[in-house]
Amino acid sequence: MNMNTTFVLPNSGHNRDDVSSKMGMWLFLFTELLLFGGLFLVYMVYRFKYHEAFLHAHYDLNVWFGGVNTIVLLASSMTVAMSITAMQKGNIKLSKNLLWITIISAGIFMVIKSIEWSSKFEHALFPGMSHFNELGNGERLFFFLYFFMTGLHALHVIVGAVLLLFVIRAINQKRVTQDRFMFLENGGLYWHLVDLIWIYLFPLFYLIH
Amino acid sequence: MNSNPHHTQSEPHAEVHIVSYKDHASTFLGLILLTIMTVTVSVFGADLYTLTVLTALAIASAKAVVVALYFMHLKYDPKIYKAMLGVVLLLFIVFVILTLIDYLIR
Repeated sequence: MNMNTTFVLPNSGHNRDDVSSKMGMWLFLFTELLLFGGLFLVYMVYRFKYHEAFLHAHYDLNVWFGGVNTIVLLASSMTVAMSITAMQKGNIKLSKNLLWITIISAGIFMVIKSIEWSSKFEHALFPGMSHFNELGNGERLFFFLYFFMTGLHALHVIVGAVLLLFVIRAINQKRVTQDRFMFLENGGLYWHLVDLIWIYLFPLFYLIH
Repeated sequence: MNSNPHHTQSEPHAEVHIVSYKDHASTFLGLILLTIMTVTVSVFGADLYTLTVLTALAIASAKAVVVALYFMHLKYDPKIYKAMLGVVLLLFIVFVILTLIDYLIR
């Protein structure tokens, strides 16, 4: 393990390609977009088909949980973007602190999410539970999609937070510096993707009319 | 945006544009305003039936564009990323249209 971090290329500093590095990250983000895109297609078709049921089922969701989580994610998106600014300006300490704030925001998001989910569990609305089984097809689909899509998104929140922890480690090890911050930028891009997906999940699940 | 373009000393890399803290903060404020807007439309627009879906999606897309352009630096980065994203979005729109046709004609 340590060998990798201490190994220095003979022409270190030139053997890199920032544009391609970021392009690789974007290519990965495209696969994520299409993954969620497919789920949004499923959602679209069944919302057309079971419009009334979706409207009815969404009253079981709390707009406040969704709304506060939206603000938390938007704020964390800002702090990770500012962290890049700080790194580019050479303010390493601020950059790391902003990353920590982002990671704490991810924690806050997950806490709110788990409170929200556990109230659904209490009402036995998780697929397979007693109340869920009594619902009609449309409501079932709504809750199935709700748990699957927000669950998959929550998984991305966790992955994003862990990725940012690795970025902080890289900063500590001087592998990310004022002049070489692609890892930080790509980590930030991933975090923004998490935010982007939530931007669509929020109105589609919490704000149905 | 009024932040100065900044050139790093190392020539082999593309020049770096630093977005100021202030710009990021105003982007955030704009996003919050759009969020308040979409919640308000949903709460008070009860009789706009299908319109609310469209307005919600339009506002969400506006937010997505802001995030992509400013937070994700697409506005200042080489245009190739924007072009690639455009192709992917076009692909997704094709999927949406094909799915809709399938759903409506079946």
